[in-house]
Amino acid sequence: MKHLALTALLATSALTAPGMAQADADLRIYISSQHQPDVWREVLDKYQEDNPGTTVTIETGGNTSESQSQYLNTVMSAKDSNLDILILDVVRPAQFAAANWTHPIEDVDMEQYLPAYAEANSIDGEVVALPAFSDAMFLYYRKDLLEKHGVAVPTTWEELRAASKTVLAAEGNPDLQGLSFQGKAIEGAVCTFLLPYWSQGKNFVEDGKLTLDEPAALASMALWKSFAEDGTSKKNISEVATDDTRKEFQAGNALFAVNWSYAWAQSQSEESAVKGNIGVARLPAMEGGESATCLGGWEWAVSAFSEHPDESVALVKYLSSPEVAEYMAVHASLMPAFPEVFDDPEVLAAVPWFADARTVVETARPRPVTPRYAEVSEAIRTTLNAVLAGVTSPEDGVAEIKARLTRVLR
Amino acid sequence: MPARSRNRLSWLTDPSDRTLAMMLLAPLVALVMLIVVYPVLRLFQASLYENSLTSGLPPRFVGFENFALMMEDPVFWSTLGNTLLITLVTVPGALIMGLGLALMANLPFRRQWPVRLSLLIPWALPLAFAGLIFAWFFHSEYGVVNDVLRRFGMEPVIWFNSPRWAMAAICLTIIWKTSSFMALIILAGLQTIPRSLYEAADVDGAGKFRQFFEITLPLLRPSIVVALIFRTITALQTFDIPYTMTGGGPGTSTATLAMYIHQNTVSFLDLGYGSALAVVMFLLSMLVTLVYLRMIRSKG
Amino acid sequence: MSALASHPFASLLSGKSLRLICGAILLVNGLFPALWILFTSLKTEAELTAKPITWFPHAPTLANYHTAFTDQPLHVFLMNSFMVALLSTALTIVIAVMAAYAIARLNLRYRGLILSAVIAVSTFPLVTLLVPLFEIMRTLDLLNSWTALVLPYTVLSLPVCTLMLVSFFESIPRDLENAAMIDGCTRMGALVRVVVPLAAPGVFTAGILAFVNAWDEFLLALSFNSSPSLRTLPVGIQLYQGEFAFPWPVISAALVVGIVPVAILIVIFQERVVSGLTTGGIKG
Repeated sequence: MKHLALTALLATSALTAPGMAQADADLRIYISSQHQPDVWREVLDKYQEDNPGTTVTIETGGNTSESQSQYLNTVMSAKDSNLDILILDVVRPAQFAAANWTHPIEDVDMEQYLPAYAEANSIDGEVVALPAFSDAMFLYYRKDLLEKHGVAVPTTWEELRAASKTVLAAEGNPDLQGLSFQGKAIEGAVCTFLLPYWSQGKNFVEDGKLTLDEPAALASMALWKSFAEDGTSKKNISEVATDDTRKEFQAGNALFAVNWSYAWAQSQSEESAVKGNIGVARLPAMEGGESATCLGGWEWAVSAFSEHPDESVALVKYLSSPEVAEYMAVHASLMPAFPEVFDDPEVLAAVPWFADARTVVETARPRPVTPRYAEVSEAIRTTLNAVLAGVTSPEDGVAEIKARLTRVLR
Repeated sequence: MPARSRNRLSWLTDPSDRTLAMMLLAPLVALVMLIVVYPVLRLFQASLYENSLTSGLPPRFVGFENFALMMEDPVFWSTLGNTLLITLVTVPGALIMGLGLALMANLPFRRQWPVRLSLLIPWALPLAFAGLIFAWFFHSEYGVVNDVLRRFGMEPVIWFNSPRWAMAAICLTIIWKTSSFMALIILAGLQTIPRSLYEAADVDGAGKFRQFFEITLPLLRPSIVVALIFRTITALQTFDIPYTMTGGGPGTSTATLAMYIHQNTVSFLDLGYGSALAVVMFLLSMLVTLVYLRMIRSKG
Repeated sequence: MSALASHPFASLLSGKSLRLICGAILLVNGLFPALWILFTSLKTEAELTAKPITWFPHAPTLANYHTAFTDQPLHVFLMNSFMVALLSTALTIVIAVMAAYAIARLNLRYRGLILSAVIAVSTFPLVTLLVPLFEIMRTLDLLNSWTALVLPYTVLSLPVCTLMLVSFFESIPRDLENAAMIDGCTRMGALVRVVVPLAAPGVFTAGILAFVNAWDEFLLALSFNSSPSLRTLPVGIQLYQGEFAFPWPVISAALVVGIVPVAILIVIFQERVVSGLTTGGIKG
């Protein structure tokens, strides 16, 4: 199977870079270390084979998004030509484009991608980045435990709370938590806050201005806090980060978990204590609301200061092609941004649950689109963290978000 | 002075005192101009502009708008408060601990080097390292501090989950680190006090504690004041230890003004607002320096 | 009359036990944190999370040091720190020697003013310069370079070193230079051939102080040199924490590696450093 995939890649790389790739170019591509640079390396090696004269070096940044974004900020604001291609969190293309840090990509049919990504990467009619892979947040659950206690998969947060109470009481296992989610002040916490907020049908930003619906925001903060207080989640949930949730679920210590797609492959691996016993579903909704999930995924952008813009654009188009997306789906379990790749038989053979994932990703919502997203993210995640840690009340938390972001989004 | 022969290159090989002075001072002046004076002027200018590098727009003159917005910014007030709190706690704290350490170090030990080392190593340690080391010390499950507390039968504290305890951990770390520098300064001062003064006081029948308050402390005043000035100015700029220990959390309860300036500059690329914040810190430092200078002058 | 009897604490305890207790307090206070990190760096991750926690490592291992060098380019961080510290120290010394000589020897009209200015710079809040310096370095395309740090670090240590050298120079009798000049030396010649060699100890001490200041600096290094290949040690050590975890034994190993160079300097040159700190510190 790998053989077939690589052959397809060869064909693609030969097709997508006609003529131009003959130029001698030494490209530097920035891939953050948590995004499996070693698998991308295989893909890049194929491209190099097919396009002699182009060498691609991977540069990885620090391990935390904070250090990575500081690094990129410094490099880009200095107009440094050191990096040609960057991998950006889906929230960043808008910011980078507004700062004139991206080189436009032309002659791309954006209709081939999922609509959310076509939108996230097109700013003012210009395509500024192409998807590397897609992602969204899901509700993970223990199939075996739910079946054992005759509980249905919850569709609302209150149902989840009730399900958790039932199962926890019946199991009597002190190490088992009801729900694990991210309460640490990381980027993922922004999603944590927005899920119930969006579920009530509210928007956070419109036309670059803050449109905070305070009761909805309060409901969201109060919901998460209540989980920590009534025993559904750990008391110190404010210390839990993305991989902590994954580890806990994988070790069998959580009935439900809110997490991104990568957790699936790990939880079904040989080292997992819950292999074969897990299921994935849409996130629950607030009472009377719709299920909402956070759009994730990362994008490839060409630096506006690159000295090889044409070669870089060619490489980006290759990296964001259906064939590469299929390869990454099969070998790195990264969800594709192409609807049809979800249905590809080889992909489904490797990651069968992608069949259900597609509808979730299609309805995922992007986080607030604004050039000052860094500040928005900082305000939301630190405030949610403070509320979960018991440092601030949900009411004060909402007031603080409003006070901080009114200045930023004016 | 012997007569000097003059040739064309005399100004370079054998300059007059005045020329020489200018040549020798030039590099210092040039560097200070480049790194201190010019930037400060730019700082004041930049604080009057709206300049967010992520917006892609050119800087826009807005007068005092940044400062007006600052007044409404809850994060500004909490970081300012944290900075002042840290200053008020760690300056006297480091002074007292430094004084204690200096008095102890002044004992006639047979070997001086262990004493010296135990003051020098904390001084030479980067603040950022101290932050990491003590973050580990205060770890709620595997840290030494809680281990000791448990051994004494006391309840361990979850240090970094609560603003008050996190701030306490930070202040303790800062006091530990800076007390060594204070101790070194005070120790030097102690060693200049002539023994004869104590001997005379003994003859007069004065007790040890009275000698301490009437001889030692007054004569230590110059050293103490100098140490205090530096400690206070540095305390206002506290960055390294909270940054590496808590990152400002939980929430913004342990974030300092210096951290907020850094965040606005490097993470948010909002140079206008960052400059305005820095102007506030600058004025605060100047105020403190002036207060200390007044104190020095008034007491002769 | 023994020195001990005049000490304020003398009334509390007998001489020997007092010294023992105080000595122990001093040693524990000063060296315990460094020792603890040393022990932690020799433990395995498993031993770390065992309860109750152990103090001495039961099965000491050097594996963490290996990981410290492979997980992140620790040798690169070391080199960056070393080069930046060395370059800024050299620059500081050269400039400070020149300025200190001018202040100490040449009867300058504005001597008092210059000294006050030097002291004023030393009380300057460096943090406030972060924003304008960031802008300047950005415009001059100096971000992520050694130069971006060497220049500010030089200014950081200049006041202390200059003041220290001023007092050193003043302690050298003028007659020596005058003698040299009567013998036919120019002023410059006298500076280089007579004064500098005599002030060598002071110069050396000033150099050590400048080196330590540069080695320890964090804020500017964090802000200007965030490229992984240009980070200095205090900044690079922050990189060991993953998105997910804090590998304490590995971080401890990296910390030990980071402390060793400066610790060696301190151990070898302790007396000089102490005298230098206090001369520069209590002057004025």
